Amino acid sequence: MSEKRTDGGHGHGDGPDREPDGGAALPAESVESGEHGLPPLSSVRRWFVTTNHKDVGVLYIVTSLLFLIFGGVLALLMRLQLFTPGEALLSPLAYNQAVSIHGLVMVFWFLSPFAFGFANYVVPLQIGADDLAFPRLNALSYWLYLASGLLLGVSFFQGASFAGGWTMYAPLNVPAFTPQIGATTTVLALALFVVSVTVGSVNFITTIHRMRAAGLTMRRLPIFTWGILLTVWMMLFAFAALLAALMILGADRVLGTTYFAATTPGGSMLWTHLFWFFGHPEVYIVFFPALGAMAEIFQTFTGRRLVGRKWFIAAMVLVALQSFVVWMHHMFLTAINLPVKTLFMATTIGISLPFDLMVFSMIYTTIKGKIRFTTPFLFAFGGLILFIVGGITGVFLGAVVLDYEFRGTYWVVAHFHYVMVAGVTGLVGGLYYWFPKITGRMYDELLGKVHFAIYFVGFNLLYFPMFLAWGTPRRVFDYPPVFTTWQQVATVGGFLLGASFLVMFYNLYTSLWRGEEADATPWRFASTAEWAVPSPPPLENFPGVPSYDSGALEFREGATAHADGGVETDGGHAIEGEHASHASIWPFVIAVGSLFGLLGLSGAVVPGEGTLNPGYAVVGLAGLAVFGYGLLELVRESFEGPTGPFGESWPFDGVPNTKTGVWVFLASDVVLFGAFIGSYLFVRVAAGWNEWHIVPHNSLPGLINTYLLLTSSFAVVLALVFAKRNSRTGVVASLAATFLLGVGFLVNKGIEWIELFHEGEWLSTSIETSTFYLTTGLHGLHVVIGLVIAGWMIYRAWNGAYLDDDEPIELFGLYWHFVDIVWLFLFPLFYIL
Amino acid sequence: MVTWKTYVWIYVALFAFATAQVAVEFAGLLESAYWLAFGAIIVLSFVKAVMVAGWYQHLLYEPRSLTYLLATGLLAALALTAAAAYSIT
Repeated sequence: MSEKRTDGGHGHGDGPDREPDGGAALPAESVESGEHGLPPLSSVRRWFVTTNHKDVGVLYIVTSLLFLIFGGVLALLMRLQLFTPGEALLSPLAYNQAVSIHGLVMVFWFLSPFAFGFANYVVPLQIGADDLAFPRLNALSYWLYLASGLLLGVSFFQGASFAGGWTMYAPLNVPAFTPQIGATTTVLALALFVVSVTVGSVNFITTIHRMRAAGLTMRRLPIFTWGILLTVWMMLFAFAALLAALMILGADRVLGTTYFAATTPGGSMLWTHLFWFFGHPEVYIVFFPALGAMAEIFQTFTGRRLVGRKWFIAAMVLVALQSFVVWMHHMFLTAINLPVKTLFMATTIGISLPFDLMVFSMIYTTIKGKIRFTTPFLFAFGGLILFIVGGITGVFLGAVVLDYEFRGTYWVVAHFHYVMVAGVTGLVGGLYYWFPKITGRMYDELLGKVHFAIYFVGFNLLYFPMFLAWGTPRRVFDYPPVFTTWQQVATVGGFLLGASFLVMFYNLYTSLWRGEEADATPWRFASTAEWAVPSPPPLENFPGVPSYDSGALEFREGATAHADGGVETDGGHAIEGEHASHASIWPFVIAVGSLFGLLGLSGAVVPGEGTLNPGYAVVGLAGLAVFGYGLLELVRESFEGPTGPFGESWPFDGVPNTKTGVWVFLASDVVLFGAFIGSYLFVRVAAGWNEWHIVPHNSLPGLINTYLLLTSSFAVVLALVFAKRNSRTGVVASLAATFLLGVGFLVNKGIEWIELFHEGEWLSTSIETSTFYLTTGLHGLHVVIGLVIAGWMIYRAWNGAYLDDDEPIELFGLYWHFVDIVWLFLFPLFYIL
Repeated sequence: MVTWKTYVWIYVALFAFATAQVAVEFAGLLESAYWLAFGAIIVLSFVKAVMVAGWYQHLLYEPRSLTYLLATGLLAALALTAAAAYSIT
C-alpha cells in the first residue's frame, strides 16, 4: 500500500488515502500592484510588458483558445459544405483555403500553444524555479506567436490564403499553382511561428535542465514536466528542419529559386522529406504535453502513483528518439524505393511498442487506484480512449500494402483526428485541472461533466463515421452520394463538438467571477509542487528556496548568491543593487516589427513580374526598422533574470544559463544548416551527382573567404584572451579585426555574386544557382548578424565593458566560430566538388 | 587551459588544411580519382570543424554533454540527408 513519492511530490502520507501536505495552507501572499516593476493585473499595460511565466502562460492559453475558435469555425464551414453532395456554400478555392488553414491553425496555432500555456504556468512551479531562464525571451516567444497568427489572418485579405493543404506539398506550394500573395504570407507566418517555437524551446530546455530545486533529480521530475522536456527537445530539432523547408519555400515564392518546381529533379520529394522529418515528431510534440497532463490527472484522481512510472518515462524517451526515424511512412505513395519503405514500416511498428506500455500503465493505474470521476479525469480518460482508437487505426497506415489503399482517404482524416484530438482532450482535462490554481476559483463541476458528455459524443459522431465512409477522398469539397448519410452524421457531430465548447467557455467565464474560492490544493491527492503554493501563486512563486533534499518539498530561507558566480541576464545588463524589474515592452515591439516586416516581404516582389511593389516594400522596411529598434532597446535595458543558486543542473552543471542557451540554439542551427546542405545534396543526387554544374568559376574567391573567416575566428579568440588580461585596447582591436575581416568576407562574396549575375547566373536560372545562392546566402546572413553583434560589442568594449565579465565575448565567439565551421563545409561543397 | 601557442598552431593548421583542399583540386585529383579526392576534401573539412569546435569553442574543456548536444543535431541532419538520398529510386 504505502510508497514514497519520488516524482517531485511533497506528500508524507503512507497510503492512497493520505492527505498530502501540499494542502497545508501557506500564508497567502498578495500580489502587490507594481511589484517588480509590473503594473497590476487589472491594468491592460501589465499584459503588454509582463515577462512573468504565469502571466505569459495565461496569455498563451487565452490566445490559443481564440485560435481554436478560428480553426473550429473553418471546420464547421467545411462540415456545412459537406452536408450534402454538390453543395455550393463554399467555392472550391474557399473550401481549399478552409481545409488548409483549419489544419495549420489547429496543429500550430492552437494545440502546441495551448499546451505551452500550461507549460509556462506549471513547469517552473513544478521544478521549483522562480521563472523561466530567460523571461524576456519567453515574452518574445508569446508575442512572436501572436504576430504570426495575425499575419496568417491577414493572408485571407491578400487574394487568398494558402489553399494547397496543411502539408503544403510541392509543387502545389509554388506560385505556379498557388499564385496569391496570401499564400506567401501563410508561409512566412508559419516561419515566424517556428522562430517563436525555437526561442521557446531553448528557454525551456535551459530552464528544466539547469534550474531544478535541490534534490529534484531527473528521475523525480513530475511527469508533466517530463512531457514538456521531451517535447521541447523534439521541437528543437524537428522545427529546425521545418524552418529550413519554409525558408526555402519562401525563397521559391519571393526570390524565384526553383527547389520545389515541378521541373527540379526530386523537388517535390525534397519537400516531403523535409516536411515529414518535422511532421512525424510533430505528432508527439503535440501529444506529449497532453500525455504528461493525463498522467498527472490519472495520479491525482486515482490517488495512486503511476504504475511503472520509470518505465513510462523510459518509453516516452524512446518514443522521442524513435520519432525521428519513422517519417517516410507518410511517403509510401511517393517514388521512394521499396527497401526504404520496408525499413520505415518496421520502425513505425517499433514506435507503437513504447506507446503500448504507456497506455497499459495508465489503465493499470486506474485499476490499482480508486477513481474520482471529476471533469479533469473524464477528459483525461476520454483522451486515452480516443488515443487507443487513433493508435490502432494508425497501424493500418504504417503497413505499406494497406497504406496504398487508405492513403488520401477519410481513413487518414479520422485516424489523425483521433490521435490529435486525444491530445486536445487531455489538455482540456488539464485546463479544468489547473483552472483553480491559475484563477483561484473552482469551475462548476456539473457544467464540466455536461461539457465532457457533449464533447465526447460529438467528437465520435463526427469522426467515427469517417472510418465507415473511408472511401471518401480527403481534402475534396464534394463526395459520392453513397456517403451522404455518414457525412450528415459527421456534420451533426461537428456542431455538437463545437457547442460543447460554448458550455466550457460559459462555465469558465462565470466561474472566474462567481466560482467558489479554491485553496492551495483543491484536489485531495495532488502532489506536485504547484499545489504547495496558494492559488493563484504569488509573483515569486515560493515562500523560500524550494528543496527536495529531505525527500519531500521544503522551503528554506534562501541566500540568492549565484551558483555560477554571476547574475544571469538574457541579453540586458543587470545593474547590481538595482531593484529587478520584470517589465519589458520590447518583446512586444520586436513582434510588431516582425509582423510588418514579413507582411512587407510577402508582396514586395510582384508575383510573375519580379518587379518591386513600393507599398509592400515600405511596410517591410518600416517593420524592419521597428524590429531593429526594439532589439536594440531590449539589449540596452536593465533586466535581471533568475539568479539562482540552482539546485540540480544535470547535465549542464557548471555551464551558466546563457551559455547553455547559446549552445542549445546552435544545436538547432546545426539542423537548420544541415537541412539546407542536405537539400543541396539530395537534389544533386537526384539530378545525377556528376551532371551537376558548379556555379562559381573557380575556387579562389572561396579560398580567400575561408582565410578571412578563419582569421576572424582567431581574432575572436584573441579578444577573449585580451579580456582575461584586462586589456581594453586588445579587446577593441581584436573585435575590430573580426569585424573588418567579416566585412571583407561579404565584400568578396558581393563581388563574386555581381560577376555571376552579369553572366546571367540568377537565383532562378537553375537548381544549381538556386542552391548556391540560397545556401551561401543563408550563411552570409549569419555573417551579417554576427557583424551587427560585433559592432555593438566594439562600442561596448570601447567604453570599458567585458574586462570584468568576458562571458559575452565567449558567447559571441561560440556563434562566430559556428558560422566559421559551416563555411568550412560550404566552401568545398559549392566551390570544389 | 589552452595556451596562446596552441591557438596559433590551430590557426596555422586550419590555414594549411584549407589550402590543401584547393591543392587537391589544382593537382587534378578530381579528374583522375574523383571519389578519392572527394573523401580527402570532406575529411579535411571535418578535421577543421573538430579543431575549431574543440579548441576555439572550448568544447574539449566543457562538460561532455555539450558535445553530445551538438553531435545529436549533426546526427539528425546526417540521418535526414542520408536516408532521403538513399530513398531516391
